[in-house]
Amino acid sequence: MQDDTYFEEILNKYRADPYDYIDILTAHTGLIRFSVNDNESVAGPSGEWHHIAGSLLYELERERNRKKVFSASNGVIASLEKHFEGKFVEAGEKLMTIRHPLKKREIIDSILRHVLSIFPAPERAKYFFCLDIQSKIEKYGQRAVSIKPGDELFTMSLMKRDTPIYYEGEPGIIHSVYFSSGDNIDQGTAMIGVCPQDKLSMIQKIIERVKAEWN
Amino acid sequence: MELAELSPALVQQAVGDGKLWRAASFPARAVTDILRYGAPVGSRIIYSPAAQRCMDIARQQIVAAESAGRSFASGTVFVAGELSGGKGRFRRSWYAPAGGLWLVTVLVNTLLPESAALYSLAAGVACCETVRHYGIAARIKWVNDILAGGRKLAGILVESMRGPRYGEEYILLGIGLNVNNCDFPPELTNQAGSMAQFMGGPLDLRQVGARLLADLAWNIGLLHFVEAKQLAGLGPVAGSMHPLLKSWRHLSDTLGRRVRFGFNAIANPQFAAQALDIDQTGALVMRLDDGSTITENSGEIVYE
Repeated sequence: MQDDTYFEEILNKYRADPYDYIDILTAHTGLIRFSVNDNESVAGPSGEWHHIAGSLLYELERERNRKKVFSASNGVIASLEKHFEGKFVEAGEKLMTIRHPLKKREIIDSILRHVLSIFPAPERAKYFFCLDIQSKIEKYGQRAVSIKPGDELFTMSLMKRDTPIYYEGEPGIIHSVYFSSGDNIDQGTAMIGVCPQDKLSMIQKIIERVKAEWN
Repeated sequence: MELAELSPALVQQAVGDGKLWRAASFPARAVTDILRYGAPVGSRIIYSPAAQRCMDIARQQIVAAESAGRSFASGTVFVAGELSGGKGRFRRSWYAPAGGLWLVTVLVNTLLPESAALYSLAAGVACCETVRHYGIAARIKWVNDILAGGRKLAGILVESMRGPRYGEEYILLGIGLNVNNCDFPPELTNQAGSMAQFMGGPLDLRQVGARLLADLAWNIGLLHFVEAKQLAGLGPVAGSMHPLLKSWRHLSDTLGRRVRFGFNAIANPQFAAQALDIDQTGALVMRLDDGSTITENSGEIVYE
């Protein structure tokens, strides 16, 4: 009952405002030159391999090294800290917020992230499931594969260096897989969502509700 | 000359021999510092006449040391006379009979992620330098395959692991170099080659091993040296290239060529492109046929 109320609240939130608000923060110190304005539409990466950069958001210059920062998603500039234009800023300073319209799939993922235990990518690299997990997924399907802390989960491949990645988090089944083998995954990006067995039926109910309500 | 006689003293001798030509590119003080940073490489060498895989031995020894409450010495090298179960990436088999140089160097990773990402390239540059030291015009195929005359002379497999007790991260640099082994399985005859084939006769395997570890010591030392300089605010100015990447570029066989790229490029090539350059992280920058560029920091290429 308590869970139902909690998820009703979450669903109401997405009904009222089906957007994600993405804050863009500076990766390091530097001098700012904005390339966008308030209310301007921005595009995310495109191309078959997502290799064509999105809209240029700003340039950050440090020690004569000018870094261009591009939008990682489509949307509209909802707020812009224009007073930073031409100024030197610290690392982690919020420069703007992008309002990104959520698709049905993203709404489901977004809601599930409230309940699933999310395992993020530790570094920007390519990942693939370790052989044991991969063969179980192929044989039984991902939702039949249970994992617990300490289990070898992925192999992280960066510059031809392979590193085993061990699972840390709640024990459960692999409910959602957010990446494809061979994709470049940014540090901190959600890779899998793990669901405790006892929450599985509730999660299924949420997915069905969202699918029924959103076009 | 037996490979069993490969010793830290021989490595040190090879390091000393290389000082002069290293000094042609770096100030004397920097050469001393770089070699000091790289000194652990080859400071302990464990030889097995035959083994299944050196990687497995290294992992077992790390686990055994930590389980016994001891730390594992960074720079330890495991070398085998021959391997019965040599493997490359994706469990591709690696033919490793007697006469080749099959070794794994274990390093405790004390580098920042930006520098640690260059371990694979450092191993490739070291291996290429060693082969070229003998007058063979070897070059590097991204990331770190060593080719001469279109044939693969050496392959490198880099893995890492966490120590079970202390959580230390260990980098395992596996290098397989065809030195005196000249017979290859039929499927590799046109693809693989050995140093002896190019030199017209066998080489002193012990000396090649010492040279390789000396070159590895230099290039690993270079990673630490540059990182220390950067942390002290004395490193290369922003926008200029890391000296290791400069070496890689100089030795590259890849830049300018048509390639097929894939995470597993042999089994599942993803796209064809022209290799343009490597960026500051060692990632390969390629131009696709539609004119757009793509940068990949992991995966492999085959030449078209």
